[in-house]
Amino acid sequence: MSEAMTTDQYLAQGGVLTSPANASPRYRAEVMKIMASFVDSEMAGAAGFADVINAAPGLRERIAAAKIVLEKTRHAEMVLDLMGEFGANTGRYATSHPWTARLDRDAAPDAARSAHDMRLSVFNYPLDGWTDAVTMNLVMGLAVGVQLAELGRVSYQPLAEAFATIAPVEANHVKLAAEGLTALAAAGKADTVKASLAYWQPRVAQVFGSEDPGRFEALSALGLRHRDSAAMKADWQTALDVTLADLGLG
Amino acid sequence: MARFYDLTVTDVQKTIRDAVVVTLEPGPEAAEAFAFKQGQYLTFRRDFDGEEVRRSYSICAGLDDGVLQVGIKQVEGGAFSSFANQELKVGDTLTAMPPMGSFTADLAPTAARNYLAFAGGSGITPVLSILKTVLAREPQANFTLVYANRGVNTIMFREEIEDLKNLYMGRLTVIHVLESDAQEIELFTGRVTEEKCAELFEHWIDVSGVDLAFICGPEPMMLGIARALEAHGLAKSQIKFELFASGQPGQAKRSTTAAKASKGAAKTQISITMDGATRMIEAEKDVSILEAALANALDAPFACKAGVCSTCRCKVIEGEAEMAANHALEDYEVSRGYILSCQAYPLTDTITVDYDQ
Repeated sequence: MSEAMTTDQYLAQGGVLTSPANASPRYRAEVMKIMASFVDSEMAGAAGFADVINAAPGLRERIAAAKIVLEKTRHAEMVLDLMGEFGANTGRYATSHPWTARLDRDAAPDAARSAHDMRLSVFNYPLDGWTDAVTMNLVMGLAVGVQLAELGRVSYQPLAEAFATIAPVEANHVKLAAEGLTALAAAGKADTVKASLAYWQPRVAQVFGSEDPGRFEALSALGLRHRDSAAMKADWQTALDVTLADLGLG
Repeated sequence: MARFYDLTVTDVQKTIRDAVVVTLEPGPEAAEAFAFKQGQYLTFRRDFDGEEVRRSYSICAGLDDGVLQVGIKQVEGGAFSSFANQELKVGDTLTAMPPMGSFTADLAPTAARNYLAFAGGSGITPVLSILKTVLAREPQANFTLVYANRGVNTIMFREEIEDLKNLYMGRLTVIHVLESDAQEIELFTGRVTEEKCAELFEHWIDVSGVDLAFICGPEPMMLGIARALEAHGLAKSQIKFELFASGQPGQAKRSTTAAKASKGAAKTQISITMDGATRMIEAEKDVSILEAALANALDAPFACKAGVCSTCRCKVIEGEAEMAANHALEDYEVSRGYILSCQAYPLTDTITVDYDQ
């Protein structure tokens, strides 16, 4: 039934892997990095947002913020469980990093990761009150949407399925953010929102920072990447422009 | 981190000449942990000549069979599968992790779904679990199985599948495709390739009505069938895969560790192999191997840097290193020479590590 085919050939032709037993060391390492970056970003994002619950102006807003914290933490758990199948110590992981650690608010946008963990660089910056948190949630949420569309295609099937489950829930966080911004604009806070937009846009843009073409090619051959950062960044920018125009904030 | 439990072997049955079905019983404390979803697998571990071997085998029982059963086909030169086929007996104890894997689908008891599954050889094991469960729990579901084998005498669960056809009259369709034995219908002879699938979809299987497809087998078969299904309109999200790779990695032999060299020098020469290329770098002994690699612009894998996630695992080929913390590697990995490079500090004046093993 089977002529000889190496795992690399199989992956290059679009094959999917289904368990840690199928993974070569290199593949394992790359999948672990993708998973850790996602888990750490969700953990750091949720930790930052947890503080914001108390800044929410009303009960509905408190519920929305608490829901976002809960769901992002749950998403971290889903992917951390998959890391556990590769040998990660899931019990220790949740407490092994200072998830609330942040840089100074006025630190310049930089793609460098935190010294502590694999969170995306955007989560190194602190939120500054309710309006700022809602704005960040919208700008970053749209970037997460683009990222999850890409990650949902990874060749490690259990992870692709986890991302497919996670994507619609994260998309709903963007919806909550858009509702929040509409309310803030109606309350005369449009200028504060615009100031936050100016702060977060360049920092979220770093999520799609420059990438080494050789590395992109290597990851593509493993079925772990499909579209380059420039194309994804353009998608995000378009989605942001459309959303802000809809909200009258463009 | 996954934990291993002892399971008692309560039955061992030959299904074909070189495959056994092993029935297992977890102890009362582990019964809950071993509740499975149809299509999942168990990972076993066992020592062979002092070296630990881990192997995954799919559960072949359905949810309503009331037993935990795996099918194990003997692989040439395979330590675990040979042991299971030749030596394993009732009363023995096997050690396994709780069920894992996502080659499954949530049940929809009131839906009238159409399932299509492809199994190659021993790839039937998880498919049989799914098939039995779906037909029992979804009374309106229909199931079509395309089952590829070398010849008639290598068909695992042949009689059991015939019985299921009778039990679920009209709801289960089975097409045997045999590589070397001629059949009445020429289409059913040969390999299950993309082209063969296209022909099957023309006259025998209506892909447009399929809700979910499952494929379990070796690499080329998976690719060919997936391509054919997608060409006939099935979305990626409707296709579930379980790869029964021709070779499972991780059979590396124990590496030999050099005797402790002098610890006089403060610096060490580290030879690092990564992505097939080897580089030599010099580093202080109080710098972790990972940090030394990163400082030299090597793209070494890492995530947590706390000895927890195991992303930075590599293997010491020569020389010696000491780990400050290890919360992720198990004893058998350490004894084979694996280290967490974020936690590992060189002890010897030269050390060779490999991220590709």
